[in-house]
Amino acid sequence: MDRLLNVLIRLKDLDRRVLFIFVALAVAIPVLKPMGLPIRSSRESVDFHRELTSLKAGDTILFSFDYDPQTRAELDPMTRVIWTTCFEKGVKIIALTLYPGGVGVADEISKELAEIHGKTYGEDYLFLGYNPDWSGTMLRLGESFRKTYPTDQLGRETGSFPIMENVDSYADTPLLVSVSSSAMAEYWAIWAGGKFGQKVITGNTAIQAVLVYPYYYSGQISGFLGGLKGAAELEMLTGQIGAATRGMDSQTTGHVLMVVFILLGNVAFLAERLRKRRAA
Amino acid sequence: MKQTAPLIFGFVIGMIMFLQYFIPHPPFTTAYSTVLDWKQVVFGMTLILGILSLLRYHMKHVQRRSSSWRYSVVTLVGFLVMVLGAAVQGTDRGVYSWFFDHVQSPMQSTMFALLAFYVASASYRAFRARSLEAALLLIAGIIVMLGRVPVGDIVQLDVAGTELSLSTISTWILDVPNLATKRGILIGVGLGIVATALKILLGIERTYLGKGA
Amino acid sequence: METVGIWVAAFFTLAIFSFLFRENPIYRFAEHLLVGVSAGYYFVQYLYSSVYKKFWVPVFQDGQWLLIGGGILGGLMLMRLHRRTEWLARFAIAFYVAAWSGYLIPSIIQGQILTQIQSTIIPPHDASGMTWAAHLSAWLVLIGVVSILVYFYFSHEHEGPLRIVSKIGILYLMIGFGASFGYTIMGRITLLIGRFQFLFYDWLGLTPL
Repeated sequence: MDRLLNVLIRLKDLDRRVLFIFVALAVAIPVLKPMGLPIRSSRESVDFHRELTSLKAGDTILFSFDYDPQTRAELDPMTRVIWTTCFEKGVKIIALTLYPGGVGVADEISKELAEIHGKTYGEDYLFLGYNPDWSGTMLRLGESFRKTYPTDQLGRETGSFPIMENVDSYADTPLLVSVSSSAMAEYWAIWAGGKFGQKVITGNTAIQAVLVYPYYYSGQISGFLGGLKGAAELEMLTGQIGAATRGMDSQTTGHVLMVVFILLGNVAFLAERLRKRRAA
Repeated sequence: MKQTAPLIFGFVIGMIMFLQYFIPHPPFTTAYSTVLDWKQVVFGMTLILGILSLLRYHMKHVQRRSSSWRYSVVTLVGFLVMVLGAAVQGTDRGVYSWFFDHVQSPMQSTMFALLAFYVASASYRAFRARSLEAALLLIAGIIVMLGRVPVGDIVQLDVAGTELSLSTISTWILDVPNLATKRGILIGVGLGIVATALKILLGIERTYLGKGA
Repeated sequence: METVGIWVAAFFTLAIFSFLFRENPIYRFAEHLLVGVSAGYYFVQYLYSSVYKKFWVPVFQDGQWLLIGGGILGGLMLMRLHRRTEWLARFAIAFYVAAWSGYLIPSIIQGQILTQIQSTIIPPHDASGMTWAAHLSAWLVLIGVVSILVYFYFSHEHEGPLRIVSKIGILYLMIGFGASFGYTIMGRITLLIGRFQFLFYDWLGLTPL
């Protein structure tokens, strides 16, 4: 018994680099050898999908890239599915970003997908760019898109683009989609939604998604995606299998490993407590 | 004067923004739009101030030849490359865009990816069920972790016509106790924000003005 | 150029990962370069989108002279760089903080506090269209929210009934934080997945087996 307790207690002092190796293997192996585990969609993802697919050809939506390179792994997959779905339905997108780092992200993704779907800048999509002071931007957009963004990211007059012909405020856009790594999604719901009645759906990092539930259940957000799982659910619902679905296998093994670590750590802790009690 | 004048100025601006919410008509709407436009410039300059402070720190390091001053040179060179690249070639192509795509973006992503390793180490070493509350946190965390991935559906039980699996239990945890927690915190934080904002407007809270305020 | 870019990105990715073994000169070089490049990137973005687009063009090209106030306040902010003039920055800071506070009061009350209270109170009492399970859940949420707010009420000693309610609040909080912890793990692992996908697929050109 003492020998067993000693072995378990020694687990407590395992070099963290050994733990790191296990984490790397748990995540890396399924990236190379996927398992193809099935994914089930959640209610909030189904609502998100429903709002997105209820748009009609010719509708213009507002899309906010509220993230920067740090969280691309979580949010790029859902962004790509949303843009692809919109382009395939003939929905136009007016994009903006509230993060300076989002400029590069938005530029890369919008150009790539526009080329794939044969879409024209200024007619099918527009990138208004980055505005400092996110709170002022959210409020100002309620008055006028053109006054908030007199020029697009490259300095061309916003009003000169065909896509802006009949669109100048939240009232002209049936939907606002915010893909966000922070509380921006919630603030869109409070200001664009609360003050101006704009319908809002959001894509969030996993850390942020857990905070969005109160807004979803109060109706301020009409649907949301939570992390890579949410992105994988949207991929499954739209039939656009991509990086998120491929990543879910690694997500699974990573989570299982974390649970094993927590349980092992607690077993070592309990073993130490038991030995102290036996010694006393 | 150095303390009172900014407070009075802030009070006037704050009251314009407050009253505009209830009186959405001129002249309040004009003042409101102007304040929002001024805010955008001030916000940008505040962030530029932060960057200039950072540069000043590294330049001092290089001047004094402090320890690891050579790394400060790397920082300053990186800064200059981006600024000059944008000035000469613009921001949508050339050096500026290339460095963002192939240097900044990958490194920022990787910095955050490191956290996966540290959270694993922390889970192993620090996450202990020392009390009922800690055990509850641990159990809820484990259920949500396993329930949110495909493995959560592997074991499914039918209890009185209801499907019971880690996936359905984690959904219930998120939809009920998690919702209650986040809502309670949201209401509490909201009340705190309103109280602090009121104190700022009335000049009771002055720490944001810095030393001597 | 794209191939060079991918190799450079892979080098810096591995340089940052090398910190997991121990701190080393390659990691420090990469870290300091990141700080410099990021500072340069953000400096350009803020200068262009804020100073140029929101001040220079409207004031000096479009003649909107009212916006010069923003430029003046922005300039005052930079006075913080020198000890003798840093008091002038208080006007800019007071302007920004107070403007924000003034707007926050009614919007947070309406958009955050009242809406959430409404969504907590109404469902348990208006059960039309709800299943018994959903109705029970609505009551559990109401109990949870109330008990958590009682827990955060520190102006009174938690004794007697207050203590019991506060204890229930703590239990709800622990479950909620457990859910947050689970999602935090999820988020962190996803970021690592992204880097491995880049290294294996984009850099090494491997395909899934």
